[in-house]
Formats: sequence, C-alpha cells, structure tokens
Amino acid sequence: MAEFGALSSSFLVAAVGLGVPLALAALGETVSERAGVINIGLEGSVIWGALGGALGALALGPYGGLAAGALAGGLAALVFAAFAVWLNTDQIITGTAVTIGSLGFTGAVFQSRFGATGLALELPTVPAWEVPVLARIPVVGPAFFDQAVTAYLAYLLVPVLGWFLFRTRRGLSLRAVGESPEAANAAGVPVVRTRMLAVVFAGLTAGLAGAHLSLVHTGTFAENMSAGKGFIAIAVVVLGRWNPKGVVAAALFFGGAEALQFALQAVDADLPYPLFLALPYVLSLAALAGWFGRSRAPEGLASAWPRG
Amino acid sequence: MMDRGRGLLRTAALFLSIAAAACGADPAADSGQPAVALLTAGPVSDAGWYAGAYEGLQLIGDSLGFRVSHQQTRTPAEFDEAFISYAESGYGLIFGHGFEYQDAASRAGEMYPDVTFVVSSGSRSSANVVPIIFGLHEASYLAGMAAGSVTQSGTVGMVGGVEIPSAKGTFIAFEAGVKAVMPDAVVLETFIGSWDDVSAAKEAAAAQLRQGADVLIHNVDAASFGVFQAVREAREGGRTAWAFGMNRDQNDVAPDVILGSAAINIPTIFLQTALDWRAGTLSGPTITGLAGGSVEFVPNPAHEGVIPAQALSRIDEARASILAGTLDVPAIDFLEPAAGESPSS
Repeated sequence: MAEFGALSSSFLVAAVGLGVPLALAALGETVSERAGVINIGLEGSVIWGALGGALGALALGPYGGLAAGALAGGLAALVFAAFAVWLNTDQIITGTAVTIGSLGFTGAVFQSRFGATGLALELPTVPAWEVPVLARIPVVGPAFFDQAVTAYLAYLLVPVLGWFLFRTRRGLSLRAVGESPEAANAAGVPVVRTRMLAVVFAGLTAGLAGAHLSLVHTGTFAENMSAGKGFIAIAVVVLGRWNPKGVVAAALFFGGAEALQFALQAVDADLPYPLFLALPYVLSLAALAGWFGRSRAPEGLASAWPRG
Repeated sequence: MMDRGRGLLRTAALFLSIAAAACGADPAADSGQPAVALLTAGPVSDAGWYAGAYEGLQLIGDSLGFRVSHQQTRTPAEFDEAFISYAESGYGLIFGHGFEYQDAASRAGEMYPDVTFVVSSGSRSSANVVPIIFGLHEASYLAGMAAGSVTQSGTVGMVGGVEIPSAKGTFIAFEAGVKAVMPDAVVLETFIGSWDDVSAAKEAAAAQLRQGADVLIHNVDAASFGVFQAVREAREGGRTAWAFGMNRDQNDVAPDVILGSAAINIPTIFLQTALDWRAGTLSGPTITGLAGGSVEFVPNPAHEGVIPAQALSRIDEARASILAGTLDVPAIDFLEPAAGESPSS
C-alpha cells in the first residue's frame, strides 16, 4: 500500500509536470479562441518562450528568464496578430507560417549564440515552493503543491479567467466578439483591439509555458524542444470545451496520459506506446463530435473581420 | 480580397524563405570545386547524431577544400525536393543522414545517375546510392558491459526516440552487453515518440529511475539533454546514477553524469567517403564497426576508476573477440537483399 502510494504520487508529479506547460498555453488560447481567433502559431510562442527564457535566465537569473520567456512568446503572438487580426489574413495559414518561421529563427539564434553543433546548456532553474499544509496532503500534496511558480500561476489563472470571461462586462464583450464580430461591432465593441489583446495574452502564457520547459522542467534548451506542445494545447482547449476549468482538467489529462505511458513502458517494454500517445487526441475528437454533452466552438472562430 | 490573398502569400513566402535561410540552405553551386551536401531531419545542435554529421561535412570542407552545404529537411516531401535541388545545383555527393532518407535517395539516384547519394543507416545499395552501416551496436554492446558492471540496483534503462532499426539495434546490443556481465539484470526500454522532446525524455528517464534503474543510456537526439538532467536530479535526491552517451562522443556534453559513450566517429567516415568518391572507388554499402576504428566505446576520463579495472579488461577482451570474429553481437540487419537476389543470399 505504501509502495502504491509512492508510485501513484510519483505518477501524479510527472502528470502535473507535463501538464503545467499545456495548461498555461491552453488557458491563454482559450481566451484567444473565445475572442474568435485560433492561433496555430501558439507553437511558435512556446519555442520563443523556451529560448527567451533560456537567454533571459543566463542574463537575469531564473525569474528574469520567466519574464523574458513570456515576453518573447507575446512578441511572436503580436506578429501573428498583426497579420491575422490587423491585416485580416487567413488565421490558419498565418499561424502555420509563424510556427515554421519561429522554429527556424530560434534555431538560428541558438546556433549563432552557442555554436552549430550545440551543447547541453545548464540553465539556472526556478526552484519549487512548497505550499505550507497543502503540500502535506498524501499523494496529491507533493504533486500539486510542491511546484514552481509557473504551476501556481496556472492554478490562479483558472478562477481569474473564469471570472473575467463569464462575470465581467469586458469578458462578455470578448465572448461577443468571438461569437459574432458583426453584432459586437454594432454594439460598439472594438473588435480588432479586443482580438489583438486576446491573442497577445495567449502569446504571453504560451511563452511562459515555453519558459517552464527550459527553466523549470529540464534546465536546458534544445532546438524544437516545444515538440508540438503548442498544437497539443489547441487540442486541450477543445477537450476542455473553451472553459478554463475544463481546460486545466484536460491539460492534466494529457499530461497524465503521457506520464502513464512512460510509467507503463518502464515496467513492460512490449507496450504499444503509440496507442497511449494517441489516446488523448481520440478523446479530443470525441469532444469535438459532442459525445461529452454540449460542446460548441465560438461561432465566430477563425472568422475574418476587415477593419474599417 | 485579391490583394489580401496575395499579401498573405507574400507573407508566407517571406516566413518560409527566412526559415529556410535559418536552416542553412545555400545558393546553387557554380564554381569548379567539387560540392558536397548534407541533409539532416533534425537540428545539428543536438550534440549527437546530427552534430557528428555536421562536423563531418565541415571536415570535408576544411581538409579537402570542397564546397559544402547543409539543409535541414523535416518531411519526406522535403527529402525529395532537397535531393533534387542539390543535384540540379551541381552537388556531386549528397549525404542523407538517417535511414528515413533511403526511399527519397533511391528515387533521386535513378533521376541523377552522375550524382552519388549516401544514406546513413540505409538499406538499399545501387550504383550511385551507397548506404553506410556504422556498426554502432558493437560499441553499444561494450557500453552495456560497462553499465552492467557499475549498476548497484541491477536495473538499467534505455530511452529511445522512435522504434526504428538503427535505434532498436543499439538497444538489443546494449541489453546483451549488460546481461553478459550480469545475467539476471533488468533492462528497461522506453520510446518517447520524438527525438527532440527534452521534457518527455526527462520524464521517461525519471520513470525508469523510479523503477530502480541507476544507469541509463539513450538513443535520441537533442532530447538526450533531458536524460542527463534526470540523472542529475536523481543524484541531487541522494542517489547514485550514471548516464551513457550515444552516437557521438558525448563525454563532454554532460561531463558530471556521463560515464562513457558508444560513439561513432562520423567525421572520419564522411571524410573517407568523400575521398573514395573523388577517387571514383566509392561503391556498395560501406560497413564499418569496431574493426575500422569508426565506432568505439569511450569511457569518460573524468570518471576514471568508476568502471572497475576488472570490468575494463573484460570489455577489452570482448572487443578483441568481436574483432577476431569469435563474439557475435546481436544486431538488426539493415540491408535489404538487392533486387534479383534471393533473401537468403
């Protein structure tokens, strides 16, 4: 029993560790999609966040690194927003271009700074803070309440975004922009400005997710280390049904699925590991198909809104 | 709307061209120098498999004066495109560094009979398509013997990218090496489904460490940094744990935790390949291994004494037996029978 407790506790630690970056990126993307913008360039913000975090931490220490990572992710999203919202280009194609461009650019910056053949950077890492009392709860305590500041930010964002989106006038306006930009505009809501801000917010949290990868989880940077987490975050938003509470649960579920297949493979090597990696996506498709009750994307998602 | 569409295309083209430039694509070759190109499916900043190939390309450029170019290609469609564009631009020798390039190289080889295509860990040979089989399993076997002699828990772990023959082959040999010195050792194996995902590799390694493993080897690219970090953190937690490097001498990549590397001397093999190509003698699959000195198990001099002297002499004996042909290291045969030959030949 004690061994089972230790095992399930360490599984949860891994699930939360892998889930936090997904939660951060997906919570931001929830706001962006609620405003009607799907940002496929989120992956670009994550990798910029990882690199910005690494460079920032070398210059300013781990917390400066987190800030630099968020900022770098926000800037990548600003580039996306400038085209997809301000100039009204196609959101999907623009996002893809931002992601591909970001993966290439970050690689070029990394290689020019640290040499073409690379090295395993040892970055100053963000330490974990144990929350008094809560961290002592058996099994869940160490997993959820002995984490770095990025995890606590993700927890905090859930009620804050829930309150903002569903309890405030600005949240209502933002959702109106996502449902029907025409109606929102007629009601005097500045559609372009709302969408720009929502996209940049998503970039900041995705950048923070990237900085979590380099400064909290691994203590190093590698090209392409975002490894699709920005795209997974978009699936997480779907599975979480565009609701912060659902999104954070879905992020934990994706993290848990990944942690589970590592734990199972370590016990039995003959496991068909790709099946376990695919499971969360199957569930996301099921969520899109509406098998888990009412689930509807914002009506105006990916819709164009010409200025003027 | 038309304006917007064109603007968008320009934007996309701009991003793509910048990305391509960032990956190191090089304009067409036009001077008289022989020109050599390298394709990798991942970043060369992995301090491992791809970094070794990039060093090989640079060595060819520096010591032979050839013009060299490198390009990173991600998808099979890009493989074809890159082979064709290099062949069209006058590159006479093109390396595709990984077995995933085999099909595209075979197609390009038929289209450009005057160009030589070399496929690392390739499987099919023709007049101008030449696989290189590195024989890394032999070095991996010796690394396994070292791992088996230092493990205290009797459990060792292997973290791989995707279950392809070149990765699987090194793991089979590593496991055999471990069991040669410790027959009842437990050998864990995890594939993470990616070569670059540092955080996935770290969690996979951490899961093996929790399962009792105290010596880990990897066969991933940049994701190896996550394996080394997991070992480092296990030590911070008070445990004794070691990692082994793979594909390239990685002893200096994480010198605190790496006890040795199963290494390929890719630069030397690439240079020899380029020399043979210039001399017109490059043909058939190039099969290397311990015998050619092109792979080796390299203990990390920073940790002298950790691998017991007795174990090192057993490793030397095994190396001699492999060279003498009296010890068969389990391997996966990459090479497919040539067309027209029966599979048993």
